[in-house]
Parts: sequence; C-alpha cells; structure tokens
Amino acid sequence: MNDFFWFAVLPYVSVVLFLLVTIRRYQTSKFSYSSLSSQFLENQQHFWGTVPFHYGIISVLGAHFVAIVMPRSVLWWNAAPLRLFMLEVTGLGLAILTLVGLINICLRRLANSKARRVTSWGDWFIYGGLLVQVVTGVGIAVFHGWGSSWFAASMSPWIWSLAKLSPDVSYLATMPLLVKLHIINAFLIIAVFPFTRLVHILVAPNPYFWRKTQVVLWNWDRTRIRGTD
Amino acid sequence: MPQVRTLLSTILLPLLLVGTAAARVPQDPPSEETIQFFKVNCFSCHTIGGGALTGPDLKGLHERRDREWAVRFIRDPKAVLDSGDPYASALASEYRGVVMPTLPGIDATLAGKLYDLIQLESGLEKSRFEGVQVSDRPLNAADVEKGRALFQGSKAFTAGAPACISCHAIAGIGGLGGGKLGPDLTAAYSRLEGRKALVAWLAAPPSPVMQPLFTGHELNEDEILAVVALLKDAAGRGEREADSTSLTFILLGIGVCAALLVVFDLAWRNRFRAVRRPLVARG
Repeated sequence: MNDFFWFAVLPYVSVVLFLLVTIRRYQTSKFSYSSLSSQFLENQQHFWGTVPFHYGIISVLGAHFVAIVMPRSVLWWNAAPLRLFMLEVTGLGLAILTLVGLINICLRRLANSKARRVTSWGDWFIYGGLLVQVVTGVGIAVFHGWGSSWFAASMSPWIWSLAKLSPDVSYLATMPLLVKLHIINAFLIIAVFPFTRLVHILVAPNPYFWRKTQVVLWNWDRTRIRGTD
Repeated sequence: MPQVRTLLSTILLPLLLVGTAAARVPQDPPSEETIQFFKVNCFSCHTIGGGALTGPDLKGLHERRDREWAVRFIRDPKAVLDSGDPYASALASEYRGVVMPTLPGIDATLAGKLYDLIQLESGLEKSRFEGVQVSDRPLNAADVEKGRALFQGSKAFTAGAPACISCHAIAGIGGLGGGKLGPDLTAAYSRLEGRKALVAWLAAPPSPVMQPLFTGHELNEDEILAVVALLKDAAGRGEREADSTSLTFILLGIGVCAALLVVFDLAWRNRFRAVRRPLVARG
C-alpha cells in the first residue's frame, strides 16, 4: 500500500471534494439537505436503531475530536491506569452501542417493506461504509488497545501535520492494517458525504440547544383527546 | 555463550572478511544529516568501537567488507541474506537470526555516506558512536518502582515521551493490562540479551512506530535505568499477561452498551409507539 497516497493525498482530495460539493449542493438543491426520515412508516425497530446509533456515533466522534485537539489532556487523564481502563471500557461500550444501532437500522431497512421501498442505493452504500467504519473501530479497540493513548501520541501529530499542510506519514508507517483501513474508509466517507443522506448532519437543528424555552399552551383536554397524559 | 560470540567475532568473522577491498579514504566530512540518520536508525543496534549490541560493532567495517557489498547490504539486508551470501548468513546466525530491518528512505547514495561515516569514525581514537554512556550501577527495587510508574504513565517522562502502557503490555501491570499496539515486553530483557543492548534501544528506539514519537523526546539516563530495571524484573517473573484480560475488556464493553440500552428504554418509556394498537387494546 502506498502510504503517501492514502495518508497524504486522499485526505486533501476528500476534504476538497467535501467542501466543494457540499456548498454546490446547498446552492442548487438546499431542500435535499435531509435524511428523509422513515419514522412515520415504522417506529418500533426505528427506536432501537436510530437512538443507540446516534448517541454512540456522536460520543465516539466527540472522543476522536478531543484526542485530536487536546492530545496532552487525554494522555494526562490516562496517566492513572484505572482512569485509562475506565476510558477504554466506556469507549468500547459506546462503539458497540453504535454498532448495535447501525445493525438495527440496516435490518429494519431490509425487513420492513415500507422502509425498504424508500431506501436508495446511495443509502445502502453509505450504510455499508459506516458498517466497515464501525466494525474496524470496534476491532481496533479490542485487538489494538489502548487506542485512547496511542491515538493521542501517534495519530494526532499526523492529523496536525495534515492541517499544517506538511503531511508526515511516518507516524503511520507500521500501523496495523485495521488502523489503516479505518483511516482510509473515514476519508472515503468524507469524500462521498455530500452525495448522501449524511448531509443532514449539517442541518441538524442545533439552535434548539440554546434557544429560549417555548411555552406550549393546550386549549383542550389532552387526557380526553389522546387518552394519555 | 558470550565466549562463543567473542570467538566468532574475533577469529572466525575476521577470517571471513579476508580478501575485502582496501577502502578509499572518504574526503569530505560527513554531513549533519548522515550523522543524524546514523544516530536515529543505526545507533540503537550498533556501536563504532563500543562492542556488539543487537548487531555487530561496526568499527573497521571498511577493513572487513568492501564498499559495494556494504552498500548492497545496507540498502536491503534481507535480499542479501536471501541470496545466500555467506557473510550475511554468518552474521545472521551469530546474532540469533536477527535480520537488520530495511532503513526508511535508504538508497545507494545514503548507504555510501553511512559507509564513509563508519570508516571515518573507525579511524578516531574514540568515536562519538562508541555507545550510550549509562551508569552500570546495580539496579534496585526503587528503580523497578520508578520504572513501573514511568511505564504506566503515573510518572511522566521528562522530555514528554508517551508512557509505555499506551502500546505495550508487561507482566505485573494488573487490571486490564497494557496496550496491544506493540509487542508484550515481558521477555524484552532476555530477547535483547540484557542491559547493554536494552539501554541502547531505549536511548534511541529504532522501531518505525517509536522513532517519530521519541525523536526530540529522548529518555534521560535515570529513566532508561528505571525502565531497564522494570523489564529485568518482568523477565524474572516470566509470566505473560493473561489472555483473559481481553475477554474481561470485551465483556465490560458489552455491559456498558447493555446498560445504555436500558437507560434509553427507561428515558423514553412514554415514547409514542402506535395509534391503532392502543385504541384496539382499550376497546
């Protein structure tokens, strides 16, 4: 495998493609920025897919982000073995949670005829990419621990070298195949991101987190109408 | 064994070396890049005049092997060994089958410069690559404890090198054990045949993963001795980390996942489930 191509060229190609197509798609087809929810079609299995997946993936991506931005803090936290073990177990738990959610999402789309009908080839493509990503991530956690420490020590400097436009792939020279696959697949996902349903990440209603609370007044008896409180 | 090695290196190997070309004397002083390259890539396994470590002492290499052979070997040691070269085979058997790795970024020009550097340094009364000067005082229990603290990261390396536990396991760590990116270091002390080679390794770790991490963050003498003491202690214990730590880790991860699923179910216990079914049930 040519390390320079995969870890010094592909990242830039992916990010440029991501930026250009994301902007272009928003300019030309802004109402397509959606994941086209199928919750109305089926909502029982949906819960056990989308909730674990989203809580898992957001936490795991957040952990990657912290390790990239504050590697020294992660290494400081891991300085006590018990804290290192706690972080690793939590990380593995969240990774398995993500995997459980993603498998449920895929099974539901396969098993439920209505959900299957509204699933495009693009959706299957990105589900496949995400499955590879999460499975390799869980594999790395199990077979190449303790990733929280060696990521902060070895991967963060490589990512920063990319950010500084002077890529140093020596950090990755002898990384295990599973780690390389995880990284390459991540950049392939970034490259195809703007062509897929993943664009919904960019239009998540984040202002809900900080907007003023809204008072909702019901002008009928909810108990009588809905039979619930 | 040391006597056998001495016999081999002082009598047999020089005999094998007879007939090598008289070397030309390099004219130009070695560049800083070549010196740095030797320091980073060669110095952990070789000295020039300081005796054998993981690999042979390179003093007088030009008297033993000609330039053409040495450049070919430095560029691709495994290819030379695989070609059935008798000298390379003798080296491999003398050094317990350890084959020199292919150096990053090596080419014929750089290999030639390294050969020149070794020749120049061999001519000096005391080479700068004579070996890492670390005290040979006896190691004690306090060294082992300090080594354990450095290994686990509870005591940071002065120059900011990452803790060993990030990538390595070793006997006696406890809990869920050490990292699995690098090899288990329980047998490292005996694998490198003792303190001298281990000190050289720790002074400038040559592995491609460790090299970029430790360049500029080298361990100081006290830290090297402490880690050597820990590795010696671990080798004496002789027990490797139990494989059950991996299974425990996986089960704990599954436990965290299951607990979160229960939390989700409870947190959304009043979630909207259906329209028709509850109506039918009530009817």
